[in-house]
Amino acid sequence: MPMYGDLGNKLVQHAKRTQNLTHLPPYQTELVRAVTREVRDLDKDVASLLEPFQGSFDPSADQATACTLLVNHLSMRRNKRCLLAYHRTRTDKLEELVWSGSDVLDLAGQQAGGGNGAGAAVDSGGGSSLSPQEEDYFRQYGDLLAAYKGQWTDVDLTGSLEPPRDLFIDVRVLKDAGEIQTEYGAINLTKNSQFYVRQGDVERLIAQGYLQKLG
Amino acid sequence: MDIDDILRDVDPTFHAIPQEKRDLQALTRAWIAERSAPELLPWPSNGLFERINGNIKQQIEKVEEMTGDMDPKTNFALIVIQTELERYRYLVRSYLRARLAKLDRHALHYLSTDALRARLSEMELAYATRHQALLHNHYLSSFLSSFPAGLQNLNDAAGGISMIETPDLESAVFIRALKDTPVEGRGVDTDEAAEMQEGDIVILRWADAKSLVEAGSAELV
Repeated sequence: MPMYGDLGNKLVQHAKRTQNLTHLPPYQTELVRAVTREVRDLDKDVASLLEPFQGSFDPSADQATACTLLVNHLSMRRNKRCLLAYHRTRTDKLEELVWSGSDVLDLAGQQAGGGNGAGAAVDSGGGSSLSPQEEDYFRQYGDLLAAYKGQWTDVDLTGSLEPPRDLFIDVRVLKDAGEIQTEYGAINLTKNSQFYVRQGDVERLIAQGYLQKLG
Repeated sequence: MDIDDILRDVDPTFHAIPQEKRDLQALTRAWIAERSAPELLPWPSNGLFERINGNIKQQIEKVEEMTGDMDPKTNFALIVIQTELERYRYLVRSYLRARLAKLDRHALHYLSTDALRARLSEMELAYATRHQALLHNHYLSSFLSSFPAGLQNLNDAAGGISMIETPDLESAVFIRALKDTPVEGRGVDTDEAAEMQEGDIVILRWADAKSLVEAGSAELV
């Protein structure tokens, strides 16, 4: 028989695993619902336990009931913490993705490509690894970041956090990226070609996996 | 004002350092300090970043101006300026990101009192407030709204444990003494007091080092 907090524990394990993954595993809709339900059930239990006392419950007179109430109380709070931890871990990951410049469509695309074709994405739950709320959050955080970044346009906040060493670097093109404009003219980035370019011009493309920096 | 300030006032070399250079020094120090300190440090309010932004803009314009020129000499100067510009931008970017990372981790803490809010720049305050609102909304729409009303708060302090996490002020930092100064550090078993001389580097708890750093007798390294 499952005990109070078992489900919450599962969520925490999911969160823990998510921390070490590069991608975001599917949202545990069922589990989240079950834990939330457990909280509501516990709350109802508490209410029905207290009902006969009409607000005049004396813990020292009825220690068994007091103990039950305490356990219920703590379980509810524990579940809440588990839920918060699970969601926060995932939003942290989402924020990371926003910073690195991916967008929701990209994520959906990966899912469709890796899964059972585009049809899977339409099925509820089976397609995207994000919950609809998470997709909203992703978009809104993107807007927020864009607003903050917009005040620092000359600095490019999402740029590399490695201290710059060389102005120019060698890069190899991993995927066709089309033509880019630099102040030295246009460069056509075709697969497997190699260029000596200004780092600032191609940082985005490196982050998105189009180019590889040669060391 | 102490004797050092007075001496500095009459020191001809101090005012000979151009504002841009002093700004760069201030930025570098702020950057190092922000990356070492476990909590968010106050935003420099003396217009440092307005000046820095101005400088960056100016250099970008200069680069654009010089780009058209094909003279090899200008070309070399251009590379030097661009390299310097990249480094300058890196400093600002890394500084801002270090602050955002702390802000994201303990948003509710930094938003909780006026004294803490005063450490943020206006933009950061707007960002943190909005970010927290987004998170709260996300929690609400994901599960919190179906919770019993009494359990929907994010800032409960029931049972003596606050839900708001705070940065660990007891974590260790390295500081360098900028002038001779006594230090007191709390240890696990015993507390210790020592005399630091200018240039000495010691490791101690941030909670103990903070007052020295704020008074300007030491800097974070």
